[in-house]
Amino acid sequence: MTEQATRPLPLEGIRVVDLGQFIAVPFCTLWLAWLGAEIIVIESRRRMTSRTAPPFAEGRDKEPDASGYFNQLYSSKKSVTVDMTTAEGRDIVRRIAGVCDVMVDNFSTGVLEKLGIGYEAIAAINPGIIMLSNGAFGRAGPMANSRGLHSAVNLFSGVADVTGYVDGHPRILGGVLPDPLSGTYSGFAIMAAIYHRQKTGQGQFIDVAMHEAMLSLIPEAVIDLTMNDVEPTRIGNRDRINAPHGIYQCREEDSWLAISVTDEAGWAALCEVIRHPEWRGDSRFATLEARRENIAELDKAIEQWSLGQNAHEAADFLQRAGVAAGPVLRLDELLDNDQLNARGGVVTIDHPVVGPRRQMALPWHMDSLGIEYRRAPLLGEHTREVLTGLLGVSESEFARLDAAGVLS
Amino acid sequence: MTGNAQPTLQGPLTGVTIVELGDGTAGPYAAKLFGDLGADVIKVEGPEGDSSRRRGPFPDGRPDPEASGLFMYLNVNKFGVMLDLDSAPGLADMHNLLARADIFITNYAGKRLAALGLDAKTLRARYPKLIVTTISPFGAEGPWADKLGDELIAFAMAGMAYSTPGMPDASDDLIKEPPLHPACFAADTIGGVVAAEATMAALLGSGKTGEGCHVELSQQAAMAAMQIRDVTSASYTGAQYQRLLNPVTIGRMPNFYLPCKDGYVTIAAPMENHWERLKEGMGNPAWAESDLYSTEKARTANWITLRQRIMEWTVTVSGDDMHALAEKSQLPIFPFYSIRKLADSDHSRERRTFAEVQIGGRAARMPAAPFQMRGTPWAMRRPAPHLGEHSATILKGGMAA
Repeated sequence: MTEQATRPLPLEGIRVVDLGQFIAVPFCTLWLAWLGAEIIVIESRRRMTSRTAPPFAEGRDKEPDASGYFNQLYSSKKSVTVDMTTAEGRDIVRRIAGVCDVMVDNFSTGVLEKLGIGYEAIAAINPGIIMLSNGAFGRAGPMANSRGLHSAVNLFSGVADVTGYVDGHPRILGGVLPDPLSGTYSGFAIMAAIYHRQKTGQGQFIDVAMHEAMLSLIPEAVIDLTMNDVEPTRIGNRDRINAPHGIYQCREEDSWLAISVTDEAGWAALCEVIRHPEWRGDSRFATLEARRENIAELDKAIEQWSLGQNAHEAADFLQRAGVAAGPVLRLDELLDNDQLNARGGVVTIDHPVVGPRRQMALPWHMDSLGIEYRRAPLLGEHTREVLTGLLGVSESEFARLDAAGVLS
Repeated sequence: MTGNAQPTLQGPLTGVTIVELGDGTAGPYAAKLFGDLGADVIKVEGPEGDSSRRRGPFPDGRPDPEASGLFMYLNVNKFGVMLDLDSAPGLADMHNLLARADIFITNYAGKRLAALGLDAKTLRARYPKLIVTTISPFGAEGPWADKLGDELIAFAMAGMAYSTPGMPDASDDLIKEPPLHPACFAADTIGGVVAAEATMAALLGSGKTGEGCHVELSQQAAMAAMQIRDVTSASYTGAQYQRLLNPVTIGRMPNFYLPCKDGYVTIAAPMENHWERLKEGMGNPAWAESDLYSTEKARTANWITLRQRIMEWTVTVSGDDMHALAEKSQLPIFPFYSIRKLADSDHSRERRTFAEVQIGGRAARMPAAPFQMRGTPWAMRRPAPHLGEHSATILKGGMAA
């Protein structure tokens, strides 16, 4: 990491005021921070969200500097505490936004406007500002005021319509995918807007709806429905075209193997590895069409083999023979995964309160540009620096604001 | 191109030139995101064409390489050039394109690129200002670098399959069912989005360094990075993630995904005030006052019967009525929308969530912008190219209108 840090950071010199919460926006600014942007997070002791969320370091429950949720999502950022329920607090946020390139939020629709720090208000004092708002259903349209967690976004986006076991009911994807996915789109959109502003001087407002980010995963189903009037069907782990394409149980408890055959060479290789060379001439499986037709039978037969195998060893056999295959990894296994670690995909960040902790790094490498991983800030760690430095607030004025509770 | 296209407005990435040597979803989608924002994207295909041309969906299911829905979606806003890279003239044309490009995006296999002399190392040396973005299933280094991977394998090896179905699905059928992959290109699309963000960062960075960059992306790593919430849990508590859901992993109750009268609905009411509002919404049934459910702790301990009780109510209420109740009482309840219902909703219409296109002469809709830049609106500037549609103009040095 140190070598990389000596290279120029792609976003050095970009300043962002971050009013994000939950995961979507903090995830967006996490990557921007690692790429070198200065992220000023506005927090308040009166209303903490991420810092009160589990998991906490052992024996440090509810300590604001010990939340893993916060520390991992806020790496490399700055923390400024301001009480936005006070007029002076709101004025400080306005002044910070006045000297930033980017402002991000994912409050409910209309909250920033009520506080007098919506896009119009900030653009009036800082016309070049790029403001991005991320919401479950976006900032425009009849559902702009609806609330929704990741599960609601899954259900609304159409993704659940193509997620499920064979002929079963719609299911919700794992993790909280709408959050980090919309956060990734947000990062791309912000950088495109920065590029545009460098050329034209023009700032702008960006409206990110989490459900629209998710909709981008399912073009095939959308087009088949709107063009051919074909309703989506749930097909388990099968593919519409290729077969076999599935996840099969292995020997050890709750262990699984993914196999994807996309051509005849792969099919021939699979038959050899699982010791059924005769299947190549078997009319039930000999052609792709036949395999699709008899997929239930084929899946069952493959699983009879996989049940006697260790998932990792079986993946190795298949890979060596030329079949795309891999073990199904649990989320906790990702941190120890050889391949992710071999390419620096897991980073350890030290922290004075919780010690060194591992998390997923930026998932790409750059050979001429740097990445900087620093620890998350302690609550209010940068309040003085930002106010007296960036805003030029005098020490006496700072003391007065502090005493008045504006900086709590 | 009806609807929201505003072809007179310039996109934010106007003036950026990209050469894409992509196949399937990941590479082409990364390049599409640039084309959507006004960059000139030159898509290079071999004589056999991108494999998504053979995937469909086709009008009435009749295969036609010029009418594949997936191809048409992934390749709007691009120019198309056909080159036989295995021939000397084809390869020379490729170099002529690269010489005038700012960015090269590819998800061709590393071995194939190396055989063509189009690997990142060679290109970085020959074109010092070029940004070279390579996308591969597992990345260019490490024990799995040369292994075979695709959508399903990357999804499985990034923790997503194991955790799907996700919370709050507490169905009892999971013990008989495998980890689940959705019937769509999720890991490929996400690999493409992350590659686009990475490439965009390199573009801004090259403004500082005056030189190009090799952006090297692993789809497994990109998908794994999306798991931040659950990886954090593992990192802080050492907890083993358990797909067979139980109250320990689900947390406070009720937080369920249940059938309703005409579909499915999520109901989250984890806190006391939520529970009070939910009881009222259910018409204050007598069972809800029982000691079994009177406290947060009791509700979580007795989640199996609680789920049953609530389901007895949900199956009598329609999704729309459920949503109306949620809006009125500020409860996180939300019904399942089919793609049809989403596409036909007022919200989609007003937001222009879908764009109208012609596929093989047939009207269809496809997802429009995944985010909306108000100052530089998304536009469908041109449909996906026919195979080699712009070869003549572009290879002569022009950019077809």
